[in-house]
Amino acid sequence: MHFLRRNLAFFRLAVLTNLEYRVNFFTDAILQPFCTSLIELTLWFAVFASATSTTIGGFTREYYLAYALWTAFVARIATSWMYEFKMIEEIDSGSINGLLVRPMSFFEYYLSQLLGYKFITTVISLLIPLAMITFFQLPTIYSRIPLALLLITYYLVLVHTIGFIVSSMAFHLNRIYSLTGTKNLALWLVSGELVPVDLLPEPYKTWVLDLPFCNGVYIPVAYITGRVGTSMVWHGFMTTTVGLAVFSIIAVFMWRWGLRKYVGTGA
Amino acid sequence: MSIVIETENLSRTYKTYDKPEGLWESVRGFWARKYTEKVALAPTTLKIESGQIIGLVGANGAGKTTLLKMLSGLIHPSTGSARVLGFEPWRRDSRYLRRMSILLGQKNQLWWDISPIDSFSLLMEIYDLNREDAKKRVAMLAEMLECTHVLHTQLRRLSLGERMKMEIIGSLLHSPDVLFLDEPTIGLDIIAQTTIRKFLGDYVRDKGPTVILTSHYMDDIAKLADRLLLISKGSIVYDGTVNDFITNAKSALKISFGLSNPLESSMPLTLDATLDKGQQEFSVKVMAEELAPALSKITSLPGVLDLKIEEADFEDIIRAFLEKESRVLSTRSPHES
Repeated sequence: MHFLRRNLAFFRLAVLTNLEYRVNFFTDAILQPFCTSLIELTLWFAVFASATSTTIGGFTREYYLAYALWTAFVARIATSWMYEFKMIEEIDSGSINGLLVRPMSFFEYYLSQLLGYKFITTVISLLIPLAMITFFQLPTIYSRIPLALLLITYYLVLVHTIGFIVSSMAFHLNRIYSLTGTKNLALWLVSGELVPVDLLPEPYKTWVLDLPFCNGVYIPVAYITGRVGTSMVWHGFMTTTVGLAVFSIIAVFMWRWGLRKYVGTGA
Repeated sequence: MSIVIETENLSRTYKTYDKPEGLWESVRGFWARKYTEKVALAPTTLKIESGQIIGLVGANGAGKTTLLKMLSGLIHPSTGSARVLGFEPWRRDSRYLRRMSILLGQKNQLWWDISPIDSFSLLMEIYDLNREDAKKRVAMLAEMLECTHVLHTQLRRLSLGERMKMEIIGSLLHSPDVLFLDEPTIGLDIIAQTTIRKFLGDYVRDKGPTVILTSHYMDDIAKLADRLLLISKGSIVYDGTVNDFITNAKSALKISFGLSNPLESSMPLTLDATLDKGQQEFSVKVMAEELAPALSKITSLPGVLDLKIEEADFEDIIRAFLEKESRVLSTRSPHES
């Protein structure tokens, strides 16, 4: 019970902190997703305008537009760089000291904050795909949204664990922010954010579908837009669980190794 | 009284990267880096009883903060062992973390973007405190520190002194049994220093936690500590009561005088003090038993002016003591001490 109350307090902290800076919050929750949606829509409009057939990979332009809109929304939830940067900064500068001496874990502290931040921005930015989908009358199965969001939230724990591993490297190396950027680029490729995974040639498509990373974007978006069925979502939960188990072991090792080396003033 | 803090040959060595000057050396640093090891704390054995207030004093880089960081569990030692309240600190057992607190005067530990009252609310959840009791405690501590009016202001908008007061409330909210205070008055004006010093004195007398306090302001130590640990170059060079130290200090004297012309050649005055060639103004500290021979040498100099003899103050004595120890340690290897 205390664990839940404590983490709810971290969750609230993220909401409080983000609401403290109104312009930044508005830009982050409204303007950025709006711009991303426009870019994605423009891209797929252009692809179909120059295409010789009305379908690509068996799907019409409307399916791709819906995919693009939901991708722009979902990818923002499933990507973590801000809190990863904060974790690196805490270790780099030594400000982590103030957290290490408290009866709580650094992992849970930032995970709950990440969830709090994603919650407050998601609630607002969800309005953008919903408005555009309705306006353009694009294919979307609304009843599937809750399960898709559940998978994304679960995947976010995996993303945070990977971010935690990257941050733990800051115990050994200074200024490792570029690792976060590189990791996010790699995830961009295999999550389905760049192109739907079902357009990839075999055997890459099977490999990517068996990895947990497509559960951040491709599986939930394909599920909402009707490209895949519920069985793929359950498969997604399973691969995320396996990924979590593997990355958690690495995270524990990296954290303990880092703490043994930590000098209390940053790396 | 029971032993609350115990260390056995506790030491810490840091590895640092030596960066030679220049662009070429930066390029070369990609494949060939030179590291050196620095002893931040030489093997230290200590026993501290419950309810004691320990003043830990030393120059910058002497190893004070390293010792506190190990005892609070922030960093692991290179060798040795330590038990605080029966726990090995660096295991960071939550039962231990609930009973201790560390205040790092040069680092913010509260949340920068929210008000102190929101930070305290968060701390109540972290430490699983009864909210009503904790709120009363915040009100009481804020009253004692005269800072009730800024509890609802965002931390980043507070002055350094106000921030420090908030940090103190945050570190005492869960009534720790062991308190590590690292430079709690650093950078503060004299009024804030006095308020905080008085508050800490009252609090410690009232609640009786075991305290290790580091400070560059000797007034903090003289007024609060009942046992003094002097640390130099990573080694404990004095461990005794503050009263004993002050008693010894009182036997130290400061002689100051001028000469009508610069001194023609250097002259040893006592075992530790030399009058340097070319100077005209002198201020030297001598022990009481050295006074007569020192005065005899000084008065034999030509053109002595304004000769004065004063009792040295606490800060002067500590500085002289540490300077002397530092010279002694420089002639030994770090692990010999």
